[in-house]
Amino acid sequence: MKLTRWIVVKLITGLIMIWVVASAMFALLHDLPGNPAATRYSELVTHGDTPQQARAATAAMYGFVPNQPLIQQYGHYLWQLLHFNLGQSIAEQGIPVSHIVFDAFPWTVILCLSGVLASFLIGVTLGVAAALRRMTKTGDGITWFGAILNGIPTYIIATLLFYVFATEWALFPQGGTVSIQYDPGFNAGYLGSLVTHAILPVIAYTLAGVGAWVLTTKASVISVLGDDFILAAELRGIRAWTVARYIVRNAMLPLFTILAIAFGLMFSGAVFIEDVFNYPGLGQLMINSLSTSDYPVLSGAFLLIIVAVIAANFLADLCYPLIDPRVRRS
Amino acid sequence: MTAPAKETETSTVAVRVRDLTVCFRTQEGSLPAVSRVNLDLVRGQITGLVGESGSGKSTLALTLLNAVPAPGQVAGSVEIDEVGDVLELRKGALRKVRGASIGYVFQASQNSLNPLKRVGKQLLDLGRSHGERDSRALVGRARALLDDMGLDATRVLSSYQHELSGGMRQRVGIVFALLLNAHVLILDEPTTALDMLSQAQVMEIIRRVHESRHLTTLIISHDMSVIGDLADRMAVMYAGRVVEEGPTASVLATPRHPYTRALLTAMPRITGDIAGAKALPGRPPDLTSIPRKGCVFEPRCPLATPDCLSEEPPDTYAGDHRFACFVTAGEAQ
Amino acid sequence: MSVTAALPPEQLQQAVTRSRKVSASRWRLLVRTPGRVISLVIVLFFTLMAIIGPYLYPKNLPINSNDIYAPPSTAHLLGTDFEGTDILALIITGARYVLLAAFIAALVTLVIGTAAGLFAGYYPRSAGRPIMRVTDFVLAIPGVPLLMVLATIWSFGSPQQMGLVLGITGWGGIARAVRAQTLSLRERGFVEAARGLGIPGRRVIATEILPNVAPYVSMNLMMQLTGFIYTEVGLFFLGVVKYSSSNWGVMLNNAVFQADALTSTRALSYLLSPLICILLLTISLVTLANVGDEIFNPRLRRI
Repeated sequence: MKLTRWIVVKLITGLIMIWVVASAMFALLHDLPGNPAATRYSELVTHGDTPQQARAATAAMYGFVPNQPLIQQYGHYLWQLLHFNLGQSIAEQGIPVSHIVFDAFPWTVILCLSGVLASFLIGVTLGVAAALRRMTKTGDGITWFGAILNGIPTYIIATLLFYVFATEWALFPQGGTVSIQYDPGFNAGYLGSLVTHAILPVIAYTLAGVGAWVLTTKASVISVLGDDFILAAELRGIRAWTVARYIVRNAMLPLFTILAIAFGLMFSGAVFIEDVFNYPGLGQLMINSLSTSDYPVLSGAFLLIIVAVIAANFLADLCYPLIDPRVRRS
Repeated sequence: MTAPAKETETSTVAVRVRDLTVCFRTQEGSLPAVSRVNLDLVRGQITGLVGESGSGKSTLALTLLNAVPAPGQVAGSVEIDEVGDVLELRKGALRKVRGASIGYVFQASQNSLNPLKRVGKQLLDLGRSHGERDSRALVGRARALLDDMGLDATRVLSSYQHELSGGMRQRVGIVFALLLNAHVLILDEPTTALDMLSQAQVMEIIRRVHESRHLTTLIISHDMSVIGDLADRMAVMYAGRVVEEGPTASVLATPRHPYTRALLTAMPRITGDIAGAKALPGRPPDLTSIPRKGCVFEPRCPLATPDCLSEEPPDTYAGDHRFACFVTAGEAQ
Repeated sequence: MSVTAALPPEQLQQAVTRSRKVSASRWRLLVRTPGRVISLVIVLFFTLMAIIGPYLYPKNLPINSNDIYAPPSTAHLLGTDFEGTDILALIITGARYVLLAAFIAALVTLVIGTAAGLFAGYYPRSAGRPIMRVTDFVLAIPGVPLLMVLATIWSFGSPQQMGLVLGITGWGGIARAVRAQTLSLRERGFVEAARGLGIPGRRVIATEILPNVAPYVSMNLMMQLTGFIYTEVGLFFLGVVKYSSSNWGVMLNNAVFQADALTSTRALSYLLSPLICILLLTISLVTLANVGDEIFNPRLRRI
């Protein structure tokens, strides 16, 4: 069936993208100024390790073995990747990168998803309103508001939120994920603290993303309003409620493809928001690993982000034929 | 405007348009798309409306459903049998009339169906919007109509719009217009955008359906040959006015308005010298360039006189055939 | 346009008046609301600041260790920073980096993105496919993490380098938009006519399609500038890129992370000065970008 072929093509495209990025990471680790892998190797050797031991240690840390032919190193690296072995952290000696990175992952993803969901729901509602009232002050106001929010940098939103709601009016805690006074577990105190600490960051994600949804939804609804079949439905005396459903479903369609892209954009925002709110997610991980030159962690975190984004895009592509019959081919 | 000298019997007129004017408010002022039009659609007959693009024929058709888009403003009256003045109806009553009393069929090239929903589902939406609770009966009627059109009812009902060809879409459009047993049918360019074979098919269907259901039909077209073939009466529009109107045979055999004559002369015939077909010089006016004073056709008229600049010509009647021209009014019958 | 030579005088006059009307009405759109006029003024103001600013002050701004984090006063209108340097001076001299880098980035994306979009749109079945694959790839990767990774191998601190890097990573959006426009223009009559005449593809693109795409792209530029300002300031805010002299992003970074401006009121003006400047500039650019919307979508215009 042509459909399965299309899915397979998308899957392979996604995998190729991941492979390209992974290879780029390899090139990065390999050609870093100062060639840390080689440095490490010689360090270990001078400290008394045998060449084999030194090689093994470096391999464990970086994912590839120095002093071997490039192709072999590359192959070794890819092989390790397939086993989810991303090397070891330099800053935190010996701890596997995969552990660090997967520990940080949920902090980022849960907040990102909440933010995407919230900004989508709010943004789409406002966008539909802006489109239906487009020649009025309300409509123009919403549009202006959305456009402005879309342009304001995420870190400014985060900074302002922090300053106003965590410092000036200390309604929310000043960063961190949870109060240390609570023991982790399924108790009310812990969970409640998690939530209160998460509120401002999620609001930051939402505000950062809502503007774009308002504008895109408004444009989509306006374009559907101009379509012939809407006029046709009205001329056939179809009930207003039904026509509204026609409009909304047709307007939502292109938005769906953007959902996956929005998720990707959220990761950019994550870096800033986690920095300001001191959240131990992938964003903060990247910042810290950059400043401590912990390159395995940096590239591991980046790779994980890429995989998440590509996976999200793939899922969205998968679902698209389910909602748009024009794309299905039998 | 004076009333026509020979008033047709009220019971034989299904749609009576009186003094209809449609203006669009724009930056350049108030522009008339339709200007003081009087038109009668005789019950049980097919009336054809001919004109170039921008003549106002589509706008006129929309007023029959009180569906002129903003920023248009409508003045005058459109009285329809069993409905009253459509222009007086407000939301709820208007919605009921649309589809149930009057059916409107779009061009095949337009996407008149929701691309995301199957045809059958949309027919059900149509029925339910008009209070038809019996889905089975509704589907049964739809199937009968589809069969009548020569379509595979089962297949069409479960299809999406993009799976149907142009000719199929046109016929499905007719089904939508007739499903609720409307007694007035309006077809906007039913044969444009169709190939010759489909055109012939659709024309045949229109004729059949019109007769079997005793409809009052209005066909809008720029194609004189379609009107000539199907219509009992025809009206010619130019720059928002009806310049000539009457029984089709009469108008085609003895056109009285210079514009109608020019249109007919411009059509090449299968027989005879092709060089005999002459195009009319100039272009039809757009909304901004319609002459404000005098006859609207004056700029392109081969028979224009200085009188034509000062006043709009009134309707002259030759039996059942009326036209608006100072110069040809004086010609012998 | 050679067509005008063939028109009789009255029609020529009409055509000229018509085109004058068009540009007049576009100008009118720009100044229609007070908001837009203010935005225009703000953007021009900052541009002027960027151009002239650094000439108003010595290369190394004076430091005064006795007067750090001073609140606004007559001597220092916006207060001082952690070294005692006047904040107003920092703002004025810092504007140049922000605007220059954004401008260069916009230029780079313009060139790469438009070229990619034009070719992808004009040859959708041959060159278009690989170009779009690359474009989608570039678009999919989150920008800031990518830039952080790039920062490990290249320290792009100067405005030119920053602009270049931002441009190379950010042309995806323009490419997509230009491709869509090119695809639709390709089917239009005048393009088909040109192709029918046997004019080679490259010339058709340059003479027929590009002029029609250009206005849309140039309006898009406004929004692009906003995005680039966002990103470059953000990179400094994170401390990812090192730069020596003053710069709004560096100021924000210092304010938040060194002066603890978020948790105390000590260095409030140090935090707010660059913040408000960025806000003003961003909002103004966005407002002006809206004008482009109305120009290209007459349906949105008010009568």
